[in-house]
Amino acid sequence: MVGILEDKDRIFLNLYGFHDWSLEAAKKRGAWNATPDMIALGRDWVTGQIKNSGLRGRGGAGFGTGLKWTFMPKEVKEGKPHYLVVNADESEPGTCKDREIMRHDPHLLIEGCLLASFAMQAHTCFVYLRGEYVREREILEMAVKEAYEAKLIGKGNIHGWDFDLVVHHGAGAYICGEETALLESLEGKKGQPRLKPPFPAGAGVYGCPTTVNNVESIAVVGTILRRGADWFAGFGRPNNTGTKLMCISGHVNKPCNVEEAMSIPMKQLLEEHCGGIRGGWGNLKAVIPGGSSVRMIPAHEAETALMDFDSLSALKSGLGTAAVIVMDQSTDLIRAIARISYFYKHESCGQCTPCREGTGWMWRVMERMASGQADPKEIDMLLEVTTQVEGHTICALGDAAAWPIQGLFRHFRPEVEARIASYRSGKPHVQGVTLVAAE
Amino acid sequence: MPIAKVNGVEIEFEPGMTVLQVAELAGEEIPRFCYHERLSIAGNCRMCLVEVKPGPPKPQASCALPAADKQEIFTNTPMVKKAREGVMEFLLINHPLDCPICDQGGECDLQDEAMGYGRDDSRYVENKRAVEEKFMGPLIKTTMTRCIQCTRCVRFATEIAGVSDLGLIGRGEDAEITTYLEQAVASELSGNLADICPVGALTHKPWAFNYRPWELKKTESVDVMDALGSAIRVDARGPEVMRILPRVNEAINEEWLADKSRYAVDGLMRQRLDRPYVRVGGKLVEATWAQAFAAVAGKIKATAPDRIGVIAGDLSAAEEMKAALDLFTALGVKSIDCRQDGSALHPKWGRESYLFNSTIQGIEDADAIMLIGTNPRIEAPLVNARIRKRWIRGDVLVGVVGEQADLTFPYTYLGAGVDSLKRFVDHGPIQKEKPIFILGAGAFARPDGAAILAMAAEAAGSMGLVKDGWNGFNVLHTAASRVGGLDMGFVPAEGGKTALQMVEKGGADVLFLLGADEIDLGQTDAFVIYMGSHGDAGAHRADVVLPGAAYTEKPGLYVNTEGRTQMAERAIFPKGEAKEDWTILRALSDELGARLPYDTIEQLRDKLITDHPTFGQIDYAPGHASAAAFDLMAVGEKGETTDAPFVSPVKDFYLTNPIARASRTMAECSSLHAGASKMAAE
Amino acid sequence: MFIKRIFTWWNGATFGALLTIAQRGRYVGEDDFGSKYYEAKTIRDGDAGRRRRWVIYKGYAEPSKVPAEWHGWLHHTFVEPPTVAPLKVRAFETEHLPNLTGTRFAWRPRGSLTRGGHRPAATGDYEAWKPE
Repeated sequence: MVGILEDKDRIFLNLYGFHDWSLEAAKKRGAWNATPDMIALGRDWVTGQIKNSGLRGRGGAGFGTGLKWTFMPKEVKEGKPHYLVVNADESEPGTCKDREIMRHDPHLLIEGCLLASFAMQAHTCFVYLRGEYVREREILEMAVKEAYEAKLIGKGNIHGWDFDLVVHHGAGAYICGEETALLESLEGKKGQPRLKPPFPAGAGVYGCPTTVNNVESIAVVGTILRRGADWFAGFGRPNNTGTKLMCISGHVNKPCNVEEAMSIPMKQLLEEHCGGIRGGWGNLKAVIPGGSSVRMIPAHEAETALMDFDSLSALKSGLGTAAVIVMDQSTDLIRAIARISYFYKHESCGQCTPCREGTGWMWRVMERMASGQADPKEIDMLLEVTTQVEGHTICALGDAAAWPIQGLFRHFRPEVEARIASYRSGKPHVQGVTLVAAE
Repeated sequence: MPIAKVNGVEIEFEPGMTVLQVAELAGEEIPRFCYHERLSIAGNCRMCLVEVKPGPPKPQASCALPAADKQEIFTNTPMVKKAREGVMEFLLINHPLDCPICDQGGECDLQDEAMGYGRDDSRYVENKRAVEEKFMGPLIKTTMTRCIQCTRCVRFATEIAGVSDLGLIGRGEDAEITTYLEQAVASELSGNLADICPVGALTHKPWAFNYRPWELKKTESVDVMDALGSAIRVDARGPEVMRILPRVNEAINEEWLADKSRYAVDGLMRQRLDRPYVRVGGKLVEATWAQAFAAVAGKIKATAPDRIGVIAGDLSAAEEMKAALDLFTALGVKSIDCRQDGSALHPKWGRESYLFNSTIQGIEDADAIMLIGTNPRIEAPLVNARIRKRWIRGDVLVGVVGEQADLTFPYTYLGAGVDSLKRFVDHGPIQKEKPIFILGAGAFARPDGAAILAMAAEAAGSMGLVKDGWNGFNVLHTAASRVGGLDMGFVPAEGGKTALQMVEKGGADVLFLLGADEIDLGQTDAFVIYMGSHGDAGAHRADVVLPGAAYTEKPGLYVNTEGRTQMAERAIFPKGEAKEDWTILRALSDELGARLPYDTIEQLRDKLITDHPTFGQIDYAPGHASAAAFDLMAVGEKGETTDAPFVSPVKDFYLTNPIARASRTMAECSSLHAGASKMAAE
Repeated sequence: MFIKRIFTWWNGATFGALLTIAQRGRYVGEDDFGSKYYEAKTIRDGDAGRRRRWVIYKGYAEPSKVPAEWHGWLHHTFVEPPTVAPLKVRAFETEHLPNLTGTRFAWRPRGSLTRGGHRPAATGDYEAWKPE
């Protein structure tokens, strides 16, 4: 057998697009099955099941989805309707899980939207789609149309819960994946994060109570309810339960997207699903386990790491979106992190000072370190600058910009020092000659 | 009341306050850039970080965090110190540090706070960012490289000024404040942008490179450019007023100031009357004071009192009006008027009939506002800002009878003139708690003004504007001197002529003008004596010119449109041989053999207060105090009206008085506003 | 005097500086004012990858005493010191002078009372109105 998860326990049966995505085919795979019965059991039951299943947000922060739903006001106030917003602005480098859901299993998402909206007494759900996801939008819109025509959603649908789903196409900014910036963008304003409090559950889109969930968190809701919370909670370690889409890229033989049980050992994931590291496990240098925003872990830690929230945060990294970026010995780690720093410099919204000024500074220093043109003293200065950015900003982009650099110096500081020394001794590092950057 | 601990000291606070406010309450200063009391909270400069327990183990932005009961706030921990140092370093890495050539130097928040909270050195060795200059009109000078993106200016423009001309474009390091289309900021309050800018990114263009803040002598005074009497600070260097800045006065201007009040200062140095002139052989020639007095006294003595007319202008202080009133009344002159715009207001209908009774601050309590014959945006921009502030809070009706102008907030247009007003005469009580009328000069400064006044008062009575604890009948004046004049009875005595009658052909043989320049002197064939500070319409027509002092050059009492008496102070001395106006009248009274009974300004003020006690109530606005005694039905005189639409008397906001007309800056603004000159980025 | 030499940097170089220069430095040359210039023999960490250069002033330590050609060398603008590659002196150039601000040779603007001039009476600071 490959991996841990058996085929019978997979939620996303059409992850690879081998089958039809349409309503007909989705129904055959189980979507929209028994949805009216689940709604008949009431919203407390739905929320309770999700809580019991231990589902943690799949967007990166890992906040309990069921718990998040309970933050919504119990009663709908006059003039303050509730909203569900699905965050499909999947822009984290290395991550490509939501894309596959929307391409190949859109009906699971639509069903999940209905159920989640029902649980939160929302009649309208917005799906905020990343600007670059044009095909995904087309398919999702067709699927929504199908669902409307089949009276599965819309006014007076067969489920007895009036529900509208609006697909909103963003303009392609990384920051709009931050929940409050997403709400701003959805309202037609500039995508800049809002101050919290008030939290979206109190005043979200158009000032009304809103819950923002990741696509994957919502898409699994239907199946969890169908198969029961206990089934879902049966995978993984306590507090890290369920199945998860993992996206492995980089120096593995077969980069892939795969649904796996949580807490699968990273080594098993890479060896069994991805055909191992290019050149064997011994050729592994470092792994960024959760999209570019988390700290990297070196090979010896990857050996024992489990793919779940707690194990990885114990290693001072994080599960993030479970987008595993594998880098072998040929990788120029410093150049790779410098490129990631450039990404954050480019995507900073410019609202608050530490991130606006700090990301540019960090990138410039990283660039010089990548070529060796830095002073060894600057390493400590750079680390201090990262701590000056981290935790001082409105949203988490400042943290996300600081962590990759901290991860690099935590494990590979001698490499940077060696590069600087080599530059100083008259042997400048030329990219592509001595080492190769991550592709 | 909830209690929080600030650095271990317990303090009670009102629910709803932010952590920053609570810390200030406890006397802990918190550095800030983006936070401003009167603007919405942005929370983006991150300078106000403090440590809060209970809370996450990272510093919190205190400006945006609501304080909670039993919260512990720390402003002096190592974490806070490090956070402030870090943010300050980030602010400075792309700041040009060109303080020696920056106009903000010396009064710069960034300078002060870098001193208090910054590191001693810089670790940034990369190239600094440079930002292209922007064009923001003739008043605001930009040096955008200095900008720290606090967005105060954007929030001021959109929230207070009500123009969406400013915005933040770009993102990350490339974020820039801009006017989008390189156009001037189309607001009468644009000067405040430079005030609220915490760094030198936006500075005052007319005053660029002229002064350093520490070399100026500051005098707290009162503005006379409109009838509000905004609180100002006159900053002078030697004999020259370098700039005028607002002071905080919650009752009138909060902390804003209109552009005219601020930037007309260069008018104080131009077109000045600095010596007496007497017309000899059809030409004005320089004269000594003795010669001028001789000419005036000879002419007045030779003329019958009923052929003499006295008109007070818009900028006259109460002292000189009182002196003129006493002098000419003693001579038996009856044609005395302070209403050179021909308005129908008269003290005989009670003081409430010509005051802004709800007070300016009261606008914020009003729930229905009707503007009649007024365009507050150009007549009194700060009243307009108050109405906008009220409108932003919501749940208010705003109606306009008169010109359909852009007031920066939407309103219901009710009609153009008398007919529309007439509909409200028997409207019946309005279903609102605190409705107000704002009656402008466009309604009452016309031949049928008294009838319109009566009609408006009747409508106000019918709609229930005046009741116990509320007086919503408001008159918005356009001249700083007017209410003072009406208060002291500077109006024609029984049988006297009004200002407009005096300047008719054959209306008077001698006209004595106290800075009256806005009245048409084309018809009169009288001998004109002009006393004032600037060579404007009056001086051109005059036969004798007596040089007086401008409002920055004399102490004076001004009564604003609310009936609030305020004292202006002398910041500099009058130019050349010019004298404070009341002393000229005092000296003239000797020549005329009717010596005024006061030798000092204190004695003059004593007399003024004895005769008219309201002048003694400095900084007091009556408001609704006498609402019960106010008989609306007695206001005005019923009569024929014409159906001409109400038109605001202020045609050009920037050129309403002699000082503004002498100012180059105002001329530039005016032509830009009129679209005469092409806008261009330098 | 001795204590002054140790603790004050403006009465000639301190002993610490002299010691460092003696240990690490190589004498390079001397300018017209008699200040002596030195260059480090080695590059150490923190030297930004170049040889440190020093000046020991003759008399009072006043940085503006460094003439242009030595200033350029001292700040690594020129590779070679003027003893090796002298700057071409152009016809319009004047003698180098230290900053004289604060001394009695300081420059005074025209009309300055300290220059003994007479300031015109303040008449022209406003524009008077003139009848046409």
